Amino acid sequence: MPVAGLIALGVLILLAAVPLFVAPFQTSMLARMLIFALLAVSLDLLVGVTGLPSLGHAAYFGVGAYAAGLVAKHWTAAAPVPLLAAVGISALAAVATGWLAVRSHGVFFLMLTLAIGELIAQLAASWSGVTGGDNGLSGIPAVEVAGQPLTLVGYVYWYVLLFAVVGFVVIWAVSRSPFGAALRGIRDNEPRMRSLGYSPFRYKLTGFVLAGAVAGLAGGLFASQQFSLVTPADLGFTTSALALLAVAVGGAGSLWGPAIGAALVVLVRDVYGPDLGGHGTLVLGAAFIMAVYVLRNGIAGLAMSRFRRSGRKEDAV
Amino acid sequence: MAQPVLSRRAALGMVGLAGLATAAGCGNSVGGGPSGGSGSSGGGAVKVGLVIPQDGVYTPLGVDLRNGWQLYLDQHEGKLGGYEVETVIADEGEGPDTGVPAIQGLITRDNVDLLVGIVNSASALGSVEAIAAAKKVLVIANAGAIAVTGQARNPYVWRASFTNAQAAFAMGEHLAGQQPEGGVYLMAPDYAAGQETFVAFKEAYVGGGGTIAGEALTPFGTTQDFQPFLSGIPGSGAGATFVFYSGGEAVDYVTQYAEFGLKDTVPLYGSGFLTEGSVLEAQGEAALGIQTALHYSTEIDNAANADFVAAYSDAHGVLPTCFAVQTWDSALVLDLALAEAADLSGDAISDALAGLGEISGSPRGPWVFDGQTPKQIEYLREVQQGDGVLINAVVDELGEYAQ
Amino acid sequence: MTGWLAENFVSILNGFAIGSLLFILAVGLSLVFGMLDVLNLGHGALYLIGAYVGYQFTGGVSSWTGFLTALAVAALFGLLAGLILSVATRPLVGRGHLDQALLTLGVALVVAEVISIMFGDDVQNVPAPPGLDDSVQVLGNAYPAYRLALIGVGAVLAIVVWLVIEKTSLGALIRASVSDREMVSCLGVDDRKVKAGVFAFGSMLAAVAGVLGGPVYGARTGLDETVLLLALVVVVIGGLGSVRGALIGALVIGQVESLGRALLPDFASFLLFGALALVLVVAPRGLFGSKVGAA
Repeated sequence: MPVAGLIALGVLILLAAVPLFVAPFQTSMLARMLIFALLAVSLDLLVGVTGLPSLGHAAYFGVGAYAAGLVAKHWTAAAPVPLLAAVGISALAAVATGWLAVRSHGVFFLMLTLAIGELIAQLAASWSGVTGGDNGLSGIPAVEVAGQPLTLVGYVYWYVLLFAVVGFVVIWAVSRSPFGAALRGIRDNEPRMRSLGYSPFRYKLTGFVLAGAVAGLAGGLFASQQFSLVTPADLGFTTSALALLAVAVGGAGSLWGPAIGAALVVLVRDVYGPDLGGHGTLVLGAAFIMAVYVLRNGIAGLAMSRFRRSGRKEDAV
Repeated sequence: MAQPVLSRRAALGMVGLAGLATAAGCGNSVGGGPSGGSGSSGGGAVKVGLVIPQDGVYTPLGVDLRNGWQLYLDQHEGKLGGYEVETVIADEGEGPDTGVPAIQGLITRDNVDLLVGIVNSASALGSVEAIAAAKKVLVIANAGAIAVTGQARNPYVWRASFTNAQAAFAMGEHLAGQQPEGGVYLMAPDYAAGQETFVAFKEAYVGGGGTIAGEALTPFGTTQDFQPFLSGIPGSGAGATFVFYSGGEAVDYVTQYAEFGLKDTVPLYGSGFLTEGSVLEAQGEAALGIQTALHYSTEIDNAANADFVAAYSDAHGVLPTCFAVQTWDSALVLDLALAEAADLSGDAISDALAGLGEISGSPRGPWVFDGQTPKQIEYLREVQQGDGVLINAVVDELGEYAQ
Repeated sequence: MTGWLAENFVSILNGFAIGSLLFILAVGLSLVFGMLDVLNLGHGALYLIGAYVGYQFTGGVSSWTGFLTALAVAALFGLLAGLILSVATRPLVGRGHLDQALLTLGVALVVAEVISIMFGDDVQNVPAPPGLDDSVQVLGNAYPAYRLALIGVGAVLAIVVWLVIEKTSLGALIRASVSDREMVSCLGVDDRKVKAGVFAFGSMLAAVAGVLGGPVYGARTGLDETVLLLALVVVVIGGLGSVRGALIGALVIGQVESLGRALLPDFASFLLFGALALVLVVAPRGLFGSKVGAA
């Protein structure tokens, strides 16, 4: 698909050029969008590709953020060590919890991930000696590249962009690989895949851990911004629900759709939200409703020239 | 199954989105320093960022804070220290995940000269570094965490409200003098403010020879039914209960304290927030007789307070609260400081604030900055029936307390 | 043993009171879920509507007329809301639970925000009607009379609902739909009316629970989320579509929230979600759940 490749390259160049002609506040806002987009794309691997709707995905984002923050604060802030810690520890968390969660289906999986996410958030709030409790983890030093801390907003943005692209490419590659095809197969018809000799549990668990690890990467990037604060709320239901909204608005399964959906959510909440006089939740609720009725396949669905629902049974969700 | 495809429309959409975001702010993020300089329109005007909750459980406090701030400006022709004031309001929301970005937005996007407000201590603690780096003065109008002007202190962060310890310590000393038979039972929510209250109270009370009959830290934000915790009080033999609760938890606690028959058997004492503002209305008769310690009451007998209460009631139809006084006083100290300051830089304003002596003219009585936070009188108040409404009548002055 | 019982008696009693309230709240959610396969995340918002109706019509004053009017109005609102929701979710049949979850979540957010705009964010108290607003002595401990009455109301309602479900033809239809949705439609029954009816009935109960819960939980923003979570846990434990399950689940969670918090205060915050996770992992169908459902 050369056209798609060219467009992707163009978008990348545009994003890379941002700090050269955009003011600091807007640049940091775009960095937030990139981070949230990465989270949404990782969730899409679970929801859209594997058909596992999770309401607790932000937990791995938060675990990664705390891990990166703690490593930077107490050990070293030299890149990419905090990020590696973020990915590693969130992957561990995903293995431990996914092993339990992936056995359920549909709405039970939905509620179980919700419960797990909230338990992890509660843990972060209670373990105040380590995580700072409800006050959150502050005083995280800016990430250091080659010994120099990145304090200029533009440099931090490039750092975030680099690794966000890496994360996106990883998910993209997985989705396009035979492994990704197997995940889609399990989403569409798990019994048939089992009869073909695949072990759905193993595939789903691997997908879950991958998604969790990339979410952790996003969390690590979140903690690398200057003056960042990691709080239990970043692990909780609201963040997970927002990520799910981004996936729904963007179009589950398309991967790039949720990235746009995430940018929109951040735009509405953080850029326009304060002007709504505290009633941003109203807009959010309306967005959920719209996403279901009007954007049935999300923005990606609108952009597609043909519907992809033929050949797909009822969602395994 | 077809792989995801990028169509022309989608690409245009993405470019459009990026354009939308960038159109909002042209500039450069790699030259120069981390943020722009002073953003005031120059000569005679000051841009103040007011950080208050406008969404979620703390909204009523945000309303009071805003009213107090606006009242002072209205009474002084919209000027502080001779400068014309432009107020930019930012919504801190319910917690630091929304509070800290709101504060950072005021600094980097709106380029305010100084900041006022903040209800949630976590948001305050999470922002002190950014404030110090930007060299802008912040006058906290609520957040009571001790660390803000303690461990985490920096010259730019000032506070015109209180520390969580003050009221608790004052009450601790008072009860140590009262010596209730059987000791005191302590309860508070399990987060920073509640924990700091416990520490301060015990220091004063136990230090003064009292005994603790029992204590319970209740899960913060998820406890609507206090019965499981209240059931421990009768059995402990306590002669009094001291608590810290505010907002919805205060309403629930006081109402249930009466419902479970404890009101008549074990007198209830608290930090003033237990019966301050709209929660008193919701508590109704269940609150009568509760004694609390706080740095303010509408019944304080001085000229400034009489004027303040009258002006506030005229403007808003309800009695003011300590929150309104806190922003009113923030405006007062800024008025005094800006008149003295050489210019609007953070260093100049900070020096001017440090040079202020005793603050007179405040509704809460005379107070002074001690370690960048008020050293002030704590009043012993009791909930009584006033003129058709419940009031916190001043029973005694407990003395001056520093942080 | 008796010493422990006496010490914790009030907590246990309280657990029954809370459990009663939770039953009234959750039975609707369970039936709608079991029978219609619809996950209504807006159920908490229905409770919130009821709570504010209670606040509005009692006006902070203890009165029977106010309270009963509130009950009637809330029931009406609940019925209407249920009908609207059943229509709103009809096009989503076959599209999976994620879409339902998003839709009902969106509705819940909008409703909660509208209520916040209408009533403000202050915490409101809803007084119990006269005669019940005092405390009675139970085994030497004072306990609010209203909560005792709540236990009675819950018991009566449980019996009524049980009678309807077990002894009437409508009840048989509901039980059949929970067991095998497709077969019932094959029998030529106009299941749309039955579905709308069940949705309306369940929502009405949720709104009524909001009024009944007023003297216990008051009316405030954020109550819908708290209450929804409790209802979800009850439904999961009891099993979808089962009235008996909703009752047992409600009583269990009532005790977890009361006795559990009294005995294990350090773990209080983990109890509820921990219980939910445990049941979902060990026995996802719940105690009395049907085989068909959301698998």
